[in-house]
Amino acid sequence: MQNESRVDPKIIEEVLKFSKNVIDAPKLVSAPDEISLEVTPHDVVQEIDKTRLLHYRPLTDSQKKTPLLIAYALINRFHILDIQPEKSWVRNLLEQGFDVYMLDWGTPTSMDKYLDFDDYVNGYLDTHVEYVKNESSMEKISLQGYCTGATIATAYASLHPDSVKNYIATAPVIDGWRDTTVISNLAKHMDVDKMVEIIGNMPPEFMYYCFSVLKPFEQGIEKYVNFFKNIDNKRFVDNFIRIEKWLGDTPPIPGELFRQWIKDIYQDNLLVQNKMYIEGEHVDLKKIDMPVFTQVAVGDHLVSPECSMPLHYSIGSEDKTLRMYPTGHVGMIASGLSQKRVLPELGQWLTERS
Amino acid sequence: MQSESPKDVTDYYKHLSLFWTDIIHLMSSKPQALASIGPMRAFAANSKKIATEMIEINEIMMEFNQHLAEYYKQLNETWTTAQKKVNLKAPEVPQDIEQIEAFKRIWIDIFDNDFTELFDSEKFGENYGKLVSKELELTKHWNNITNVILQSVNLPSKEEIDEVYKEIHSLKKRVGKLELRLKKKELKENAK
Repeated sequence: MQNESRVDPKIIEEVLKFSKNVIDAPKLVSAPDEISLEVTPHDVVQEIDKTRLLHYRPLTDSQKKTPLLIAYALINRFHILDIQPEKSWVRNLLEQGFDVYMLDWGTPTSMDKYLDFDDYVNGYLDTHVEYVKNESSMEKISLQGYCTGATIATAYASLHPDSVKNYIATAPVIDGWRDTTVISNLAKHMDVDKMVEIIGNMPPEFMYYCFSVLKPFEQGIEKYVNFFKNIDNKRFVDNFIRIEKWLGDTPPIPGELFRQWIKDIYQDNLLVQNKMYIEGEHVDLKKIDMPVFTQVAVGDHLVSPECSMPLHYSIGSEDKTLRMYPTGHVGMIASGLSQKRVLPELGQWLTERS
Repeated sequence: MQSESPKDVTDYYKHLSLFWTDIIHLMSSKPQALASIGPMRAFAANSKKIATEMIEINEIMMEFNQHLAEYYKQLNETWTTAQKKVNLKAPEVPQDIEQIEAFKRIWIDIFDNDFTELFDSEKFGENYGKLVSKELELTKHWNNITNVILQSVNLPSKEEIDEVYKEIHSLKKRVGKLELRLKKKELKENAK
């Protein structure tokens, strides 16, 4: 009987506390559906098909002359750039005195399956840029692209350099062959023609699968354990629910755009080799000659740094800056680090050129 | 039959099934044509199309299952290897909270590393690509069956709807470009 092992009373205490937290959770935390992710006040100033142009209301008395248009990614939604006041990319820029616009790509339906790169670059983005130029009475504006939105913005900057005064590429998807992420491995082996022919748009479920293979145990188990452990921490759970809601809401990608995307970027790697064409127009990276600021996250497991950095070395600009941050794909845009370091550096760079 | 490969067996049953479907179709189509009107008028021809699709589905299902089995085999092997690594690194049963936390960290790190290595590998990407491809082929046959049913009740097929979508897209694109060109021209003129 002397060797009988005893359970540490602290373990029982911890298990009971955890169980209580699980039971109390609905009383303490809002359901994701009850939360609005559109935090900073804005007006929808232009709608084209399903895309919307958002104009954020200023937070400073005076604003910098050149407005900034942000082209968010095609995966998930733009809300991550304004996920909550303390971590809002948009709010930070407004507080620095920038005039900020956001392009919401909307939710494509089966009817939109033929939308392609040309529609996104020379159609939607160009029309929204024209609106911003007209409203601000400026001949050129600052353009920021994030993730896949940066690929579209890069193509735009190459094809319409006369409209872009400054270009900010945040975690851009540029060199598919150098990308070392799990997503690139799946993309390289995908029969995208068959997928588009049979399904049409790239279904959100496929994206959820891609998310599920990224650090599956940390993200699939530990994250939720931590959520219930910290259920009393209002700030933590609010952030958690907001991020979860954002993660669980990704629109389909139009079939034709997805086909070109997978083939031209991941399988044939045409963009970085200067061999990409959009509706017969050559996307020549050397034509990007405006000031360019490239932001890369060292720990990015969605777009690896090796995939983003080649932009800096391929463009024709003389005024170009490459910054690397010790964070991940989302951490670069919605974290304490982004507020303390990434945004102030971007603000300073942009102020000098606005 | 014993010495025949699974493909021969499948071909044999495919032939057998097609033979009888065709014969029944031929035997029954004429009397049915005399008697049937309305949405059921092409019943015999539609039944044949659906039967053919079902045979194809069975064939693809075999290949799909092979890739699915390989998919789970890869996951299972990775799990087993990762668990062995955890056992080697943390052989003792954790006794208190600190030890449980340390064990959990080791478990998660090793499992995440091993599974990421698997998902990054050529063999996983290749098999997963084929698995999705077979799933898509199954969907295609299901679509074909649905099209037969849709057409039997005088509704447009998926292809016909796609044609309409394509036409709308092309028109919208042309109009959008013309509008944008006009707007740019107007702005230039106003600027002068």
